[in-house]
Amino acid sequence: MTRNESGIEVLLQLDAVGLRYGNGPEVLRDVSFTLAPGQFAFLTGASGAGKTSLLRLLFLALKPTRGRLQMFGQDVVSLPRKSLPGLRRKVGVVFQDFRLLDHLSTFDNVALPLRIQGQAPEKYASDVRALLDWVGLGDKLDALPPVLSGGEKQRAAIARAVISKPQIILADEPTGNVDPSLARRLLHLFAELNRQGTTVLIATHDESLLRQMKAPVLHLENGMLKQV
Amino acid sequence: MANMSKPGAIIPKAAAPLRTLTAVMAVMCFLAVLAVGAMLLINRAVEQWASGLASEVTVQLPQLSTRDMDKDLASLTQILSGIEGVKGVTVLDRKEGEKLVAPWIGENGLDALPIPRLIRVVVDDKRPPDFAAMEKAMEEAVPTARLDTHRRWEAELRRMASTLTLLSSLILGLISASAIAMVIFAARAVLEANRNVVEVLHIAGADDNFIASQINRRFMSTGLWAGVIGLVGGVLTFFGLGHWGVAENNGVASAARGLFYLPQEGDWRALAWFLLVPLAATAIALVTSRITLKRMLGEVR
Repeated sequence: MTRNESGIEVLLQLDAVGLRYGNGPEVLRDVSFTLAPGQFAFLTGASGAGKTSLLRLLFLALKPTRGRLQMFGQDVVSLPRKSLPGLRRKVGVVFQDFRLLDHLSTFDNVALPLRIQGQAPEKYASDVRALLDWVGLGDKLDALPPVLSGGEKQRAAIARAVISKPQIILADEPTGNVDPSLARRLLHLFAELNRQGTTVLIATHDESLLRQMKAPVLHLENGMLKQV
Repeated sequence: MANMSKPGAIIPKAAAPLRTLTAVMAVMCFLAVLAVGAMLLINRAVEQWASGLASEVTVQLPQLSTRDMDKDLASLTQILSGIEGVKGVTVLDRKEGEKLVAPWIGENGLDALPIPRLIRVVVDDKRPPDFAAMEKAMEEAVPTARLDTHRRWEAELRRMASTLTLLSSLILGLISASAIAMVIFAARAVLEANRNVVEVLHIAGADDNFIASQINRRFMSTGLWAGVIGLVGGVLTFFGLGHWGVAENNGVASAARGLFYLPQEGDWRALAWFLLVPLAATAIALVTSRITLKRMLGEVR
């Protein structure tokens, strides 16, 4: 594992990162923080504060316009485009709107990252089934996403994010579209994954979620970070 | 259980409808087959006409009061028969000469005209005689004799054939260019329509090759199908031309007939040119879509 200048193990490190879209104003300004392996953290802030933009930087959909972003010991800014897929495979992403592929069964949706890595169906079938059992969707393997409830969709999306055993999970408002009791269960799911060693960063503006779990909170305000 | 069977297509057929592209490309392939066929038939017909011309030359001897026609004909026959590569010498009588000009000036009063006499010389078209030497030998004995090797006609036929071949190649080039443009448009449309799927694939760590190949396969089968449809349509057209064009005894119809009914040595190789059309269509669809997709995907981080 990579260590920073102070000799502390880090999974990702941001130094004075700035981001602007085109010639617009900076949506992120001087954002600096680190996440250690196995850490659990929340990212909060009002909508428009830059949470999603920050997550998009972290799942490598965007490049910082200034500053330094290191992930898994590599400088993401100077990395050539063809090296990005390899890094992205170490990151699991969960979206508020699930982003499941409606024409694929729950099983195929969850298996997608493994298919992308070139694994054969006979090799991954039992893993996918075991994971779907674990998130409580063992009886929905063949169901298409449109017939799943919001909670089922989100559990399928989480299963897809973790099937390839990523080193970090980034979740953007994962409980935004589900009722409070289900939100609690989903949070437990993330906590369980974290106990198994996965780093977790959850972006949310749901205050009740923050109260349920003792974890560092990164608070974004107008693109600036305040650690709470 | 369904999930144990083949996994579902990542970009499903319904999300990338290529029916219109298949139809347009099939029409283009049909036109390409026609262009290739026209090129083959013209060259074949010219070959047939030219080989007829090459196996025969004519010597013309104008009627002049200063010369003894019978003596000149006899000495020319003797000279020509002795030349290597000459297979036969026939002096056409005056009546046959008259028959040749009758269609233009009518049959009346032909007796009074000084119609030239003709000598038909059959030559070995594999090992033709030295025409320059032949002309020289004749000139020494009978200065008024003129040798017509039909070379001018043959050269003109060949010039026509090469012009038409060039034209066909140009048409094939334009058809290919239009097909490439169509595939580019279609590939862009498919990628635009599946933008959300592509985004999910990117986030899950798919590289451009993986994403492009999901879409690419569809384009390959589209090109192949269009090529086969165009090929069958085009070949049937030529078959019909050879079959129903019998009554009109023109060279192209008989060449078409010959190509399919009486293939000569080398014709099967000519027919293989038709097979290039579906192959080219498949290659154009595959390569163009791949380049387009990779270029578009490369614009996204």
